Amino acid sequence: MGKKRKHSEAEAAADVKKDETAPERPKRTLLGFKNSDEDKKEDGTPHVGFRNKEKVLVTCSRRINFRYRHLMLNLVDLLPHCKKDNKVESKESKGTALNELVELKSCSSCLFFECRKGKDLYLWMAKCPNGPSVKFLVNAVHTMEELKLTGNHLKGSRPILTFSSNFDKSPHWKLLKEMISQIFGTPKDHRKSKPYHDHVFVFSIADDHIWFRNYQISCPHGGAQKLDRGDLEKMTLVEVGPRFCLNPIKIFSGSFGGPTLYENPFYVSPNQIRSLEKRKKAGKYAKKVKAKTRRKMHELENPLEVDEFADMWKE
Amino acid sequence: MQNNATINGTGMEDDDPVVSESESESEEGEDVKLSEPSKTAVYNKDGLLDKLGDISWPENVDWRHKLSVDIDQEQEVDVNDDLTRELAFYTQALEGARQAFAKFQSMGLPFLRPSDYYAEMVKSDAHMEKVKGRLLAEKRKIEEAEERKKARENKKLAKEMQVQKQRERAKQKKEEIESVKNWRKQRKQSGFAGGDKDGDFSLAFEDGKSFERSSKRRPGVAPGDRSGGKAKQGGGKGKKGFDKKRKDREFRDSKFGFGGKKGLKKQNTSETTNDFRAFSKSNFPKQKKQKV
Repeated sequence: MGKKRKHSEAEAAADVKKDETAPERPKRTLLGFKNSDEDKKEDGTPHVGFRNKEKVLVTCSRRINFRYRHLMLNLVDLLPHCKKDNKVESKESKGTALNELVELKSCSSCLFFECRKGKDLYLWMAKCPNGPSVKFLVNAVHTMEELKLTGNHLKGSRPILTFSSNFDKSPHWKLLKEMISQIFGTPKDHRKSKPYHDHVFVFSIADDHIWFRNYQISCPHGGAQKLDRGDLEKMTLVEVGPRFCLNPIKIFSGSFGGPTLYENPFYVSPNQIRSLEKRKKAGKYAKKVKAKTRRKMHELENPLEVDEFADMWKE
Repeated sequence: MQNNATINGTGMEDDDPVVSESESESEEGEDVKLSEPSKTAVYNKDGLLDKLGDISWPENVDWRHKLSVDIDQEQEVDVNDDLTRELAFYTQALEGARQAFAKFQSMGLPFLRPSDYYAEMVKSDAHMEKVKGRLLAEKRKIEEAEERKKARENKKLAKEMQVQKQRERAKQKKEEIESVKNWRKQRKQSGFAGGDKDGDFSLAFEDGKSFERSSKRRPGVAPGDRSGGKAKQGGGKGKKGFDKKRKDREFRDSKFGFGGKKGLKKQNTSETTNDFRAFSKSNFPKQKKQKV
């Protein structure tokens, strides 16, 4: 009976799909279902069901901070479709080296954590053979190891990606959304993935930064198969971590290079911020010196009148 | 600003005002932004859209491949207010999970893991143990704080009660004294009628309770001893030597205390070892001289 009810509920949604699935049946091939004519790719080749073969290379630069390294390892845990590789020297020619590495590992995208001066973390997100690539500055990093984050979920279960609606506001956010959803979404039927969904990724734009959160979905009935509407209301989330905040700096059309498509007009590099702060402190001393010299000049310009009674009592 | 520079005339000072201007921009500390967008920033809309077309998946890909949900944000989130920001993210995640659940339900796909499905988790059991320990410790801390608070309140209450009792006692005493005075006055007025032997005086103690001994026993104090065990016990010296000794001991114990460890009192501690007051410098050379 339950099944029947479910069917009637789903009917509205399935209406669109029905005409797809009904004729599809007989056309089953070894590789999966053949999609109907409208599903064919633009190039016109007979399109055998879309298959996501995303593979992400995850590496970091040398001399990375422990905290950032932990963040990277957390992401490796979260993405079953990724390959971790050795550290890469972060120098001018790292782009070509990384491109080679990605090709060698037969990956289609790359996450590269570049740590500079042991305190600034940059994240390169690149689609590999022919771009685009994005460089982010990473802020507000909290790793999964923090004891405040009490959730836990299956390793390798496919995440549900949620995007805030302001990702559709402008072209560069749209592009970023597409890249993120491809890189962070675990491919369907990936061999390391598990068939259940028990966590949610949040990508939200606030203050022109992309904020990342990861929550575990927990239901009071221990996640039994037959959930109904009542349970839906009781559904709660527990944060698993990690947390970070991405500030896009530049978007390049190639992978790790190429012409710039977008540049963040509000971006100030952390180096600049630090130098400003330093100069602020330096300014304090300079001000003091200036005041002193000004005082001296003033005293020279306005000499005191000679006091005629000054040595009156000396006699 | 220029005036300032020309008056002072030295090179070092004339870039000072520039610095003070830029300070106002960088007040926020960590998250600094330019106040207005820089004009040289590249923004190639067509290129971006082109690239988007290049990398995006075909339009009609099943939702099961993407698993992505778009959630409307009602209002702009204030980034610096941690609580509202996190709440916004939480609601977004929750809404997304609900929508995804509805979709999975309609497709007849499994959603959450069944309770008997065990597999490797993202965080290890050891780590989860730590998390649990922390939660418990926090709970305990809160409980302890509450207990302390309660104890403090109780103490306050007890103090109040004590004060009240004392006041009552004082009042009673006063009344009694007053009554005795009255009685005396009455007696004076009546001219000592009835003499000392009989009369009101005896009536006061007619209850029979008045001279009963208190049932409290004090250690080391003989029954009927009103000095509290401190009076010398002269009587019966020669009679029972053993008995007397024991009583002496008892008395001393009651006076000085008995039992407990003595070792701790006699041991050196860090304070006593560092205390050189007992040694005076002049002592040592004298001794030497004496020896020689």
